[in-house]
Amino acid sequence: MVRRLWPLLRRGAGRFPGVVVVLTLAFLYVPIIAITYLSLSPNPQPTVPIKGVSLRWYNAVLTDTRFIEAILSSVGLGIVSAVGGTTLGLAGAHTIIRSQLTSATRSAVALVIGLPLFIPTVVVAFAIGVTTGIMNLGFGFLPVALGHLFWVLPFTTFLLTARYTELNRQLPEAARDLGADRKTVFVTITLPLLRPALFASALFAFALSFNEFLITFFLAGSGVTTVPLEIFGKVRIGATSFLNAASVLVLLVSALIAGGASVLQRPT
Amino acid sequence: MTNKSRRLRDSAIAGVPVSLALTVGVLPMIVLFIESIGPGVTTANYREALGPLYRGTLVYSLGVGIIVTGVCLAIAYPVTYWVAHRCSSRYRLQVLIALTLPLWLNYVVLNYSWVWILARGGLLNRILTDIGLINRPLDLLYTDVSMFIGFVYIYLPYVILTLYVSMERLDYRLIEAARDLGATNRRVFIDVILPSTLPGATAAALIVYARIAGAFATPAILGGPGNVMIASLIAEAFRQYFDYGFAAALSFVFLFIVVIALLAGGAIPQVREELRQW
Repeated sequence: MVRRLWPLLRRGAGRFPGVVVVLTLAFLYVPIIAITYLSLSPNPQPTVPIKGVSLRWYNAVLTDTRFIEAILSSVGLGIVSAVGGTTLGLAGAHTIIRSQLTSATRSAVALVIGLPLFIPTVVVAFAIGVTTGIMNLGFGFLPVALGHLFWVLPFTTFLLTARYTELNRQLPEAARDLGADRKTVFVTITLPLLRPALFASALFAFALSFNEFLITFFLAGSGVTTVPLEIFGKVRIGATSFLNAASVLVLLVSALIAGGASVLQRPT
Repeated sequence: MTNKSRRLRDSAIAGVPVSLALTVGVLPMIVLFIESIGPGVTTANYREALGPLYRGTLVYSLGVGIIVTGVCLAIAYPVTYWVAHRCSSRYRLQVLIALTLPLWLNYVVLNYSWVWILARGGLLNRILTDIGLINRPLDLLYTDVSMFIGFVYIYLPYVILTLYVSMERLDYRLIEAARDLGATNRRVFIDVILPSTLPGATAAALIVYARIAGAFATPAILGGPGNVMIASLIAEAFRQYFDYGFAAALSFVFLFIVVIALLAGGAIPQVREELRQW
């Protein structure tokens, strides 16, 4: 065995990197395939192999009022993050790339917006939780939505910043020379050119918010429950077929959103 | 529109995202800092956070972060090498998407999926007993092993994505030239691949180790009662004791370590370039 492997490792690495790729893909996808398979079990606690194929747990998830409530607030938070995060991200990108402010001001804006990227999430979440507690803002939807907006803002801002720098500067200038005012230039030239990036940003923001767990965990209190929070709460009680079906649904939604986003904007 | 009114309008536009970041980011951090030195002005919380009891947790969390990051890099090197230089360009994008798609999936669910594989009656034990490799099921779930697997599972795609960028930039002709001149695989790796991808690897490590050290969900779902990490302590203090001072001090000690490491990395120009992509 060693004698056969040795030449492969010495000359040109042989098949070794390819084998690692196959093993990595298996490592990444076997758990997902396994949980999908187990979610089809008719029993509350699946056995291997499953005894028959049934969609009853999917049905149970989609008729469970607590879970539907969680889905609704997750989708609501996702929409707030997508629309709000992209709008604020556009303002941030404009500030960083195009505005007439001094370059020191623009760097400071980029730094403040980028905070969630280098402060550990648990620290940010804890800080926000302590602050809402001390200021007696209570828990619930508004603090959670603000937390999500803050969390997605650097991603939308820097995605749009990248597109903004690629934009052809001559087009808006030509339009200005032909007499268009700044508002017309923005609406008829800049926005359409940015449209794919704006849609990608909205989808990414939705996915980030939909998957966000820590900030929500520190802020939700008893008021708001989201899908990741609901699943986390149930995981600690015990693994069941119900939970498997719910997990597969969550994976499906986030994969669809990520797929849509990467069609619009290739990942870096 | 005069320049002055343009500046005014630009300030107004900048004001919207900045005020969000100030109220939800900067203000809470100030509040947390005041908590950490309270009540009044004292270093008691910091002394407690750095005391022997909690210093262990801090070192353990950072240690787990560093080891898992090392394992992720060891896997990511052959993987990104293959995708960037061996894979036919027809399938390259598809393979890259397959390797990084888990970044967009819910990490609570991804952690949970391992419960079914590693449990006593789980898939792995079932397979190993069926093929006769073991007689009685292994206790893997809720141990260091399961937590470790969960961490690699969640953070490997980040490392692959970051490392891929510099691996792709590496000129394959350099590798061929080195081989033609008789370099062994080990020498090619040490003399050609490693020097030009080290900034990317450092950037990936800086991003990932802090996330692992500060992770909450993976130790909570896959770890055992002994796997107490920084985030578990903070969450516990927040939810049960309402004694924020100690947890606040711990947060700032952790933040300090993370920022120092980032600044040290950012001081190297090539690493700063790589970090900028995030």
